[in-house]
Amino acid sequence: MSMAETELEQVQVRFTTQQQEYAITESAIFVPANFKRYGLSGIVNHLLGKDKPVPFDFLINGELLRTSVAQYLAANNLSTENVISIEYVESMLPPTPVSAFQHDDWISSVKGKHTSQLFLTGSYDSMVRLWNMSGECVATLEGHADAVKSVAFGSITDNEAVVFSSSLDQTVMAWTYSFLDSTYKVLYQCKGHKGAVESVAVDSSNTQFATASADSTLRVWATRDPSEEDSIEYLDTKNKKRRKTAGQDSHKIKTFSQTLNGHVGPVTSVIFDNNNSNTVYSGGWDHSVRMWDVEQQVNVTTKNCEKVVLDIAQSNQSKMIATGHGDKVIRIWDPRTDDSVAVNMTLPGHSNWVSSVSWSPNSEFTLCSGSYDSTVRIWDIRSKGSLFTIQEEDKSDKVFSVDWDGDKILSGGEDKKLNIHQAKI
Amino acid sequence: MRDRRTGNGFKVADTSATKSNGAKFVRKETNKPDTLKSEPVKSNKRTAPAEEESEDELEDFGDVDIDIESDDDEEIQEGDVDDSDGDIDEFPEENEKDQDENTLVGEEGEEEEEEEESDDYMAGDSLDEEDWNEEVKTSEKKDSDKPDRLPEIEADYDSDSSTEDVENTVGKVPMEWYDDFPHIGYDIDGKRVLRPAKGDELEKFLSTMDDPDSWRSVAVDKEGKDVVLNDEELDIIRRLQGGDIPDAAYDPYEPTIEWFSSKKEVMPLSAAPEPKSRFIPSKWEAKKIMKIVRAIRTGRIVPRKPASEKPRFYNLWGDDEQPREDHIMQVPAPKMKLPDHDESYNPPEEYLPTEEEIKEWEELDPEDRPKNYLPQKFNSLRQVPAYNRFIQERFERCLDLYLAPRVRKNRLNIDPDSLIPKLPSPKDLQPFPTQQSISYEGHTGRIRCFSLDPVGLYMVSGSDDNTVKLWEISTGRCLKTWKFDSVIHSVAWNPNRELCVFAVSVGHGNVILIAPPRIGSPEQTTLTDQYFQQGYAAMSTAGDDKDAKNPIPWVKPSEEDQENLGYRVQLSHTQAVKQITWHRKGDYFATVAPDAKNLAVLIHQITKYQSQAPFRKLKGLVQRVMFHPIKPLFFVATQLYVRVYNLMKQELLKTLQSGVKWISSLDVHPGGDNVIVGSYDKRLCWFDLDLSSRPYKTLRYHSQAIRQVTFHKRYPLFASSSDDGSIQIFHGMVYNDLLQNPLIVPVKILRGHSVVSSLGVLDIEFHPTQPWILSSGADHTLRLWT
Repeated sequence: MSMAETELEQVQVRFTTQQQEYAITESAIFVPANFKRYGLSGIVNHLLGKDKPVPFDFLINGELLRTSVAQYLAANNLSTENVISIEYVESMLPPTPVSAFQHDDWISSVKGKHTSQLFLTGSYDSMVRLWNMSGECVATLEGHADAVKSVAFGSITDNEAVVFSSSLDQTVMAWTYSFLDSTYKVLYQCKGHKGAVESVAVDSSNTQFATASADSTLRVWATRDPSEEDSIEYLDTKNKKRRKTAGQDSHKIKTFSQTLNGHVGPVTSVIFDNNNSNTVYSGGWDHSVRMWDVEQQVNVTTKNCEKVVLDIAQSNQSKMIATGHGDKVIRIWDPRTDDSVAVNMTLPGHSNWVSSVSWSPNSEFTLCSGSYDSTVRIWDIRSKGSLFTIQEEDKSDKVFSVDWDGDKILSGGEDKKLNIHQAKI
Repeated sequence: MRDRRTGNGFKVADTSATKSNGAKFVRKETNKPDTLKSEPVKSNKRTAPAEEESEDELEDFGDVDIDIESDDDEEIQEGDVDDSDGDIDEFPEENEKDQDENTLVGEEGEEEEEEEESDDYMAGDSLDEEDWNEEVKTSEKKDSDKPDRLPEIEADYDSDSSTEDVENTVGKVPMEWYDDFPHIGYDIDGKRVLRPAKGDELEKFLSTMDDPDSWRSVAVDKEGKDVVLNDEELDIIRRLQGGDIPDAAYDPYEPTIEWFSSKKEVMPLSAAPEPKSRFIPSKWEAKKIMKIVRAIRTGRIVPRKPASEKPRFYNLWGDDEQPREDHIMQVPAPKMKLPDHDESYNPPEEYLPTEEEIKEWEELDPEDRPKNYLPQKFNSLRQVPAYNRFIQERFERCLDLYLAPRVRKNRLNIDPDSLIPKLPSPKDLQPFPTQQSISYEGHTGRIRCFSLDPVGLYMVSGSDDNTVKLWEISTGRCLKTWKFDSVIHSVAWNPNRELCVFAVSVGHGNVILIAPPRIGSPEQTTLTDQYFQQGYAAMSTAGDDKDAKNPIPWVKPSEEDQENLGYRVQLSHTQAVKQITWHRKGDYFATVAPDAKNLAVLIHQITKYQSQAPFRKLKGLVQRVMFHPIKPLFFVATQLYVRVYNLMKQELLKTLQSGVKWISSLDVHPGGDNVIVGSYDKRLCWFDLDLSSRPYKTLRYHSQAIRQVTFHKRYPLFASSSDDGSIQIFHGMVYNDLLQNPLIVPVKILRGHSVVSSLGVLDIEFHPTQPWILSSGADHTLRLWT
């Protein structure tokens, strides 16, 4: 009886959109209250009269509609009598697996460069691998003495690409790969950290890169060749011996860096501000998210959240910072506020540590995250709960790194595969 | 009959005369034509002069009954009292009755006569018609006497009359009560006053005709005789009937006296009331009134307060217990159970027992019967027989009430919840580990032990699969594996942050110090190397004598092992080393080899490559040892006791008596004043060293033996692991304030380890900086809980 009534019940809605190519009439129309996203999408498509239906997502008061309209109204104590303004956007399609590149060992870090059609992975077999779109391993960069923890792209020209990698062996290495003869060489090795280097990040101008280490320091290095600066080679008899035994060629050692002291525990992640190369964000085991001024070497702001920060990412659209935590949630921060606790939002949903986060380069609302629960989740911060979940085959395989590169989501972890998913938006 | 009566000198006129008190003037009888007249009646009457003319008048008032009570009772009574007829009138009555009764009555009469003073009439007992004349004579004779006596009595002189008087003493009771009796009352001696004989109507009529005074005689009920009214009385009656003032002497029309006349008096007589202006209010009355007014104002007196309403109906079915004033000694008797349906004489069918139930009931011992009756059905209440056990039951009930110790028990009415100490909610005690995050897979045997590096990035674990593995904590990655040829008993990472070295106890007494390659920073590696070089140097310079002092040998491993595996030095104990524990500075470490007798506990120093046995003799089997985190104290846990030694003074400081049967584990709070001890008999004891040598708290939460207990170094947490496969996390806050006892709150049970061959979680350790705990179990896994 009540079902029949609700079926008959109609609400007046007005559809709006900011995507002008999909604009329809602004007049209010009646829709059945029990319509969900799919039904509403059908109405809009009908009004548009396109040949191929376009899936839409619907927002009421800036929140994504995940239930029926009636349920939403009931949950928010809104009247069904008023005209509801529903904004619609072209919805994101579920990510589709594109390919998976097999590795020999756990993948600790993945990075993509869609402009150059390159993928970079760091692995626990202490190799850095460079892949092209066809799944070919164009280069395997050997040189680290221990597991590679993090990789980053430097400047890429038509002839060569510069990549950086940090490792458990407490060093950071800069490599250059020549597209012409498909060879690589070590540009230099950066020494100075007293613990495993957990994260490396290059600024947007490719003039400097920052590293975060388990010795609770951050270091900011210049990308230029160490021979140009008055650096001293850090050579120790013991080290020399070890390097020899490891069969490494001697290469330039870079030791000069700016040190940012302030963290009181291992630093797990560091990023540069997208626009301002002078600003660095970092997070670590001391539960803090810190903003640094590189030139002044000062910690500008510190935000605390009581939980270990495992990864940090900034959206190039909204400038918001997302952090992955040991308490299974993603926190969204506004770095521009000075409050010590300014968590704008938490996104709960993962069932284990969130090891990695990455914003969508195209949308200010979308981000993806990788977790130790072996899932990659795609989130819309306007919606409660994640949009999509990509589940690894083996549920015990941790995901260590995700990267949203262009329209592809890269992920790597314990399953030893670089997984690539297609994701629109 | 008539003759007899008259012979008795009785006045039998129906119009019985009375004294003027309560007199009844009855006129109607006089009109009756058949009224008999008793001829000689007059004699015993106070006769009033006949007034013929008044007779006619009186007849007009035919039916009027008038009762007049006059004030002069006594006088007139006395006037009457002299009548002796009362004594006489018994006899005629007797005779009126059947002759059969005569004897009986005669007896009565005789008894009465004996008491009476005048025996004259004894003969009259059996009066016959023939005797009538005689009787008349006597009555005449009496009559003649009477007028003489009357004036005497009038003199208000009661001495004589009392003897002769037959006073009816019944008082003012309705005389109809005596209608059915032969008597009409009792005299002062309690004897019956017999009803005066009444003639029949004819006789009455005749006597009325005969008696010229009959028209003015009235019957007195009480006396049962007639009274002849005198002229005065008649006059009064007449006046009353005429509506006049009864007193003839009263003149209602006296001439008025003009009291207030125009004539002026010398002394003015005025009844004018006092003028109000002359009124002086009373001070005391005003005070009294003001007092009441104040009381009304303050509400102490409520004027026109409605009377408290009493319930008009009482609750018939309610608790009939009167609300008694509370008194300590008053204990109301317990009530009997009210009868149920089945006690009805006509219970519904379903209450009637079946055959089997009846049989069962009868077979039961009377003591055991649930009810002491069987429901029975009767068609009507009339058919219900008497209850033969009634007395018995009443008696038992009385016994119950009498013997039951009805003492008011002072019950402590305490909410049991209020006895539970107020513990903070676990939510407020966060952070603490709640969930498993990472499982470290790789070992193929049970993992007996593990140890974290002081920063908390790495961990070494030792397993029964003869390997030691080095793990990266945050990812679960096994970074390195050392293979040995025997079981690993214990691993311990050096707590000194500047060094990077851990100790492994392998197999039968081998303790190897390992500096894992490429883990520590260059500085750490250098310093570690320096330490060991220093040690070797010290050992070599010490020479033979020192060497002899060393209870166990320090062996330098091969160059190859040093380079590849990071072995630094090897110590060979005589027995298997079950535990290795470091001093906080990282220079000393202690080993426990329980079976090694007096070498069970050894303290080693790396910088000098020196070992010493601090105890010459040890009581009991040593389980665990521990360095005090701050002071130079040393804890040694044997099976039953924990002994605290001062290493500097080399003396026993304290013995902690745990009360458990077999201590399995021991940890010291980072503050140094609290110790927890776990035992194989499932108990966990918390000792406050400042408080006592007995446990401050003994907790028994585990269902199996406790394997390990541990404190967190920074957070107020401690945990215990057990063979039941669970880890209990407690909040253990220690306050700086000496007066405040430590607060212990269980906050979380972590389950996940499976129990393999009745071994559960073998080792636990908190992360040095984070609120995380790591555990190793017999199920070959290491787990991180966050």
